[in-house]
Amino acid sequence: MKKYEAVIILNPNLSSKVDSFIKDFEKLLKANTFNIKKMEDIGRRQLSYSINNHNKGHYLIFNIEGNAENIIDIENKIKYNESIIRHLFISVKEHDGEDSQLLVDSRNKKSESEDEESNVKNEVKKKPADVEKKNEEKIVSEEESIEYVSSDSIEEDSKDE
Amino acid sequence: MSKYELPKKFDYKNVSLLKQFITETGKIIPARVTGVSASNQRKLTRYIKIARFLALIPYTDMHK
Repeated sequence: MKKYEAVIILNPNLSSKVDSFIKDFEKLLKANTFNIKKMEDIGRRQLSYSINNHNKGHYLIFNIEGNAENIIDIENKIKYNESIIRHLFISVKEHDGEDSQLLVDSRNKKSESEDEESNVKNEVKKKPADVEKKNEEKIVSEEESIEYVSSDSIEEDSKDE
Repeated sequence: MSKYELPKKFDYKNVSLLKQFITETGKIIPARVTGVSASNQRKLTRYIKIARFLALIPYTDMHK
């Protein structure tokens, strides 16, 4: 028995059919002596570069356990499944039971987008005051620089004499 | 050169952490610049390469 992490990136156009895909994948795993310890549905995510002309992908992470020989059979079947745009099996020493950082990030993003509307209103109120302060500072600094220049020129004049 | 404290456990899924160790062009920053220990640098390179394959991190800034 070996422990693996399976990452699967699905075609984003099939996001609505994720549940049926997960069921099919579970069947495939069970047929090949694999047990699912944990499943994480991270959801649609922006890809860093386009894969097969897709800019977004639906990420799924499985923590699985089973015989090492059978993983080749699973991979052979996944290879020709067109709804999967990329997959990776990684062998791990231990599964950590905690939620992965990816899942946490995707959750935070969702909650942020909900809060955004209220935040935007607050920011608008703050901004004008800040701008005024900055303008005042700029004016002060310009005056100072002018003073320095004038004092320098005076000194130079005195040397010449 | 400042010593950077990495968490005890991290992997290819900590995208925001890994992004601190690549340049704007996507290259892995050498340990002599970041001050990461040799063993952690080996982990970082391994995880960055996995994250690149899974399109979590770009290989380069030239992707179309």
